[in-house]
Amino acid sequence: MRKKRLAATVIMYTVLGFLAVLWLYPIGVAIVKSFAVGGWGNYASVLNHDQFNYWAAIGNSFLLAGGTTIVIVVISCLAAYAFSRMKFFGQKFFYRALLICLAIPVASVVTPLFSTINGLGLRDTYIGVIIPLVAFNVVVMLMLMKSHFDGIPQELVEAATIDGTSAFGIFWRIFLPLSGPAIATISVLSFVYSWNEYLLPNLLISSPEMYPVTQAVSLLQFERMSQEQIGQLYAGLVLMTIPSVLVYLFSQRYLQSGITAGAVK
Amino acid sequence: MRSFTGRWTPYLYIAPIVIIAGGLLYYSIGFAVYASMTDWNGLTKMDFIGLDNYVRMFQDRTFYIALRNTVIFMVFTVLLQAILGLLVAVIAKERLPGSNIFKAIFFLPIAMAPAIIATVFKYMFEANYGSLNETLRALGLLGANDNIQWLGADLGIWSIVVIGIFSWMGFSMMVYFAGLMSIPDELYEAAELDGAGWWRRLFSITIPSLRGTTSVLITLGIVGSLKTFDIVWLTTMGGPGVSTNLLSTFLYQERQGREAGYSSAIGIVILVTAFVLALVQMRLSNREK
Repeated sequence: MRKKRLAATVIMYTVLGFLAVLWLYPIGVAIVKSFAVGGWGNYASVLNHDQFNYWAAIGNSFLLAGGTTIVIVVISCLAAYAFSRMKFFGQKFFYRALLICLAIPVASVVTPLFSTINGLGLRDTYIGVIIPLVAFNVVVMLMLMKSHFDGIPQELVEAATIDGTSAFGIFWRIFLPLSGPAIATISVLSFVYSWNEYLLPNLLISSPEMYPVTQAVSLLQFERMSQEQIGQLYAGLVLMTIPSVLVYLFSQRYLQSGITAGAVK
Repeated sequence: MRSFTGRWTPYLYIAPIVIIAGGLLYYSIGFAVYASMTDWNGLTKMDFIGLDNYVRMFQDRTFYIALRNTVIFMVFTVLLQAILGLLVAVIAKERLPGSNIFKAIFFLPIAMAPAIIATVFKYMFEANYGSLNETLRALGLLGANDNIQWLGADLGIWSIVVIGIFSWMGFSMMVYFAGLMSIPDELYEAAELDGAGWWRRLFSITIPSLRGTTSVLITLGIVGSLKTFDIVWLTTMGGPGVSTNLLSTFLYQERQGREAGYSSAIGIVILVTAFVLALVQMRLSNREK
């Protein structure tokens, strides 16, 4: 029995190890290549590049992801509260109509989206990207918040109603204070999803100085690339991944719980 | 209940989300339906031409290539990453020392921007100086002067499937892991007493208990495949020629070619496919319950 257990352990480690090598290979390639030819000099060159401004790209991504996150948290909490604790005509209709939006691929509506944002005079502005980023990401967060609010005991609401607390007072003084971890989860998810978005900024932002990191990748690529330029590209990619990795490390718990909850609910 | 809110109060709470998400998305869909029946060039010219764009699409060779690639991507990415995710989750549940490190490795791509992952893979797959061919040459698996065109017309879509699996597997692993945690231990103990081996337990307890999880992952995978854009656009741009186009990149190429009406029609096809497949998948899994 012990021998069998040992054999099983060896097999399991072999499978995990093999897969880990495959998964670490691209990441390893990027790191090793980022030192190719120029060594640390690649990093210095990327940070002092003519076309590519690392800090601007990071700053732009922060603005887009941060702005989107704030709007999403505010509007999804408000709506989740109404869908969870109020009764009103058309409630089911509105909720279903919003849930259907989950299945809309961004690509399928890029053409009308571009003219709409352009028509509003918001092309090449941060607001013009934040609005669709919110639209495409907010519904999952609404679902997560609603299912969290659904779990708050109704007795708390009734007690507060008897005390004469208004609907907004109940939201503000009971629901929000009980929702710290849930709000943290939807904030992290909104931030990561918006940070990672490529198609929307690519569609709506044309000035290179406004590029977020996902778009700025193109500023380090040229028609024919020398080994030196490839080294610099990889250095840029590694540098641009650092913020994602930091967010991942500091919010792993919320990210994982949010992602699994989103799938299970 | 009704007493604690005014009649119009609830609508104030849902107004922002309904206007921003519902308004923008439904308006865009309506606009796309109309635009798909015009010869719009994205600027001013916009004459009604009925279903001509759809007729044209069903006669367009590129459409069928993009459709075929989307199906390949959907089937193989969804299937393989789910199988690998399940495998890793089942092993991780055994709580071997260090299994958290492995979980963190596989989950890392979830936090990375697909645009960055795609760019790393693009240069890794490059035929002449790319790291993958270099590694294969160093291992003696590839002749010193030989190349494998990983992003060529033949292998391209399969390399993109690999990028998809790399990006998504950690997600399935996490979701399966959460699902595994909710299977009662008694089931396994009872099976062990009956003398059921590891494989037997996997196929008669674990996989059936995870049916709900699997069906959610498939639905998300189907929609996710139709949403996939960046990992193709930033590696091959649909090329060489049109060989690695997905429907999404095919649409984008047409849009850039001032074919706004035609690209809207492609968008409607993507949209309808997403709705229909998601609906069918949900119906099927509901019936099983």
